[in-house]
Amino acid sequence: MNSADKIKRFFKKAELGINPDADEKVFNDMLAQQKTKEQVPAKPEIWRITMKSPIVKLAAAAVIIVLVVLGLFEFIGTENTSGVVWAEVARKVQSSRGVVYREKGSSTEYKYPKGPGYNIIYLVPKYYRSDGYNGEGELWISMYDNRETGIRIVLLHGQKGYVREKMTMTEAGDQKHADTIDPRKWVQKFMSCKYSKLGQKTIDGVLSEGIETTDLTLVGGAVNHLQIDSFVARLWVSVETGYPVLLKGEFTGQHSGNMVIDQFQWDVELDPSVFEPNIPPDYEQM
Amino acid sequence: MLEDKLFIFRFKQGRPDALRQIYDKYKVELLKLSVVLAGDINTAEDIVHDVFVKFAQSAERIKLIGSLKNYLVTSAINRIRNHLRNSNRRCETSLEGTESITSSEREPYQWAILSERLKLLSEALQQLPYEQREVICFRMEMDMTFSRIARLQGTSVNTVKGRYRYGINKLRSLLNSEVDK
Repeated sequence: MNSADKIKRFFKKAELGINPDADEKVFNDMLAQQKTKEQVPAKPEIWRITMKSPIVKLAAAAVIIVLVVLGLFEFIGTENTSGVVWAEVARKVQSSRGVVYREKGSSTEYKYPKGPGYNIIYLVPKYYRSDGYNGEGELWISMYDNRETGIRIVLLHGQKGYVREKMTMTEAGDQKHADTIDPRKWVQKFMSCKYSKLGQKTIDGVLSEGIETTDLTLVGGAVNHLQIDSFVARLWVSVETGYPVLLKGEFTGQHSGNMVIDQFQWDVELDPSVFEPNIPPDYEQM
Repeated sequence: MLEDKLFIFRFKQGRPDALRQIYDKYKVELLKLSVVLAGDINTAEDIVHDVFVKFAQSAERIKLIGSLKNYLVTSAINRIRNHLRNSNRRCETSLEGTESITSSEREPYQWAILSERLKLLSEALQQLPYEQREVICFRMEMDMTFSRIARLQGTSVNTVKGRYRYGINKLRSLLNSEVDK
């Protein structure tokens, strides 16, 4: 091992710890600043960026592809190249009354203090609830959006505090928000990409049929900008019910990681009490 | 990278959980970089605190294009450079001006807690000219390429490589047998 390698090893082993009390103070300062700012919709900004120059357009396209694969962003093109079965999937998820699902992901870029966690999402047209768990299965955050009143309540369980805020999004931003959190839209978006069929496979005991999409050929050199060597996303749908059972995205490159959305419960009628934030009496407003 | 895009996307929607994830992901890295570059733990804490608070206000400006890590690191570096420049000015005008050293205090309210190894490293790095210190830290801690460091420092790759070579030699002599442990 040469000197540079030894010094590098010394660097990496030189550790720094965090005082949890001070840590929360700093985060609360950040939170206070965030609350003073209005939320802004992301889509118009991306649209402006992509329109500026071909180079930036490629880079923007790469980002959009990544988000599409995660089901978070609408991609160019609406032509549906799916067969009859897949068109039926899109119709079914669109008419689903309510949905519950789990989302989780991890990346080698990030050392999760307690391991990668997951979120459980409950969604109906008017309400959205997200419960965030850390890697040890502890509930650390709950978020309730009431789209009727425009009120969002966030409970930070570790801090025994909560934030109540008015969602101040514009009409466009509001729609963007609705699309972003709605998996019914995701399937539609996934299928608007070029994809190939994967055949059948049993997922968690459910006979499923899958499709797959990759971004590399679509974004070309812009992948270098993202430092991603390969990217693939797969959507699996139950043959029996016609509803999605698993959406998974994976990437490799300088870092690797994945995003999984599963444990779906489609077309469920969710009791309104699910979306009622019950703030414990010992929680203080932040 | 992909994860960061997701964080930024959610952050721009005003979601505090995204802000928390960004904060948790980068706080240690930024603090460590600031400690070794600034050489003073209190200064480093102030700088990183300022970076994050300003970032929390930036939802309208922050772009999905580009690297979140680069954005935060560059913000920290600019503040460190400004701080050191201002400190040097103060030292020049003060007969009692003294060089900052790494604090050995660990007050209960202190945010960052340094290991002995990090304190030793920080002290050794303060013996290097600031440009060399940056090159060494960017290369060793942030795994940056020489060309990216050259862009950050506004100089040529060859100059950066020279600073790296001199810096490594000086550090090796300063740390001596410590690096073999």
